Amino acid sequence: MTARRAAEHPRARRLRAPLLITLWVLFTIEAVGGLVIFFARLAWGVAPGETLHVVCGVALTLAYLIYQTRHWLRVAPPRARLDYALGIIAALAMIAANGFGLMLGVIWWRARTDPAGGAGIHYPPLLSAMHNIASLLVITFVLAHLGAVLARDRAPGGPPSET
Amino acid sequence: MHAPPFSIFSAISELFVTAGVLYIIRRNWTRRTFSLAVFLAVALFEALVNVMYMARRSAEAASGAQAIAPGLRVFFALHGMLSLLAYLVFVIFGVLAYQEQRAGRFWFRDRPGVTWTFLVAWMISVISGEVLFAVRYLLP
Repeated sequence: MTARRAAEHPRARRLRAPLLITLWVLFTIEAVGGLVIFFARLAWGVAPGETLHVVCGVALTLAYLIYQTRHWLRVAPPRARLDYALGIIAALAMIAANGFGLMLGVIWWRARTDPAGGAGIHYPPLLSAMHNIASLLVITFVLAHLGAVLARDRAPGGPPSET
Repeated sequence: MHAPPFSIFSAISELFVTAGVLYIIRRNWTRRTFSLAVFLAVALFEALVNVMYMARRSAEAASGAQAIAPGLRVFFALHGMLSLLAYLVFVIFGVLAYQEQRAGRFWFRDRPGVTWTFLVAWMISVISGEVLFAVRYLLP
């Protein structure tokens, strides 16, 4: 290990971890794809990229479970700080978004595998709305959490050691 | 068409939320203390009431259960997308402004271009929502 790398803050290394990068890629695909589906369903009644959205959603759920478990074991217990509060809201929203998304995924799967299917898939409006709002909260609070942590790093005194 | 009570509530409350957004930015712009309580109240109310309402209405419209003119559907989709993004940006900017102020900096004041762009987007989002309400429920 070079001296420069050894002197690097642990956060810089964590931000380059393969699991986190995988999570960001899946998160970006889901966020952009979800917004496209939201717009297209409403405007034209079509859902482009729906299969990709479902498949990546399942992969995101699995990757997130591993990441969140490790993350929590490192940062627990909760502290009275804005970045913690935002992170907890983001985690709760992520659980809700993935949970509602998987329920929508089951409806999608059943419609796809039903031999009598063929007509458009009917998603319950309330379930769809809950997934949409939870997903919006995920995007909002994940970015706000990251922004708060990075802003704290830049504050006078530099970054704290491990959280 | 008769306006549902929650639609009326949302249309009016959106104006109060906008007042809250302007209050937060105005205080930061004039280098006064960031009001975390007002920010949290506005952010949570907007998410749990107005954005939730918009998401629910969007999902109903997308399900095809209601007859909506094609042009209005596109307008509805554009408004929905802009509202979601405006809310997202507001929360992130608010968090950054709060953090910066603790270090003696004023985030909105220091970034007039970003601030004005956000305010224009927010106002378009609110006005388009009020127009949708008027077109759907008030016009004959």
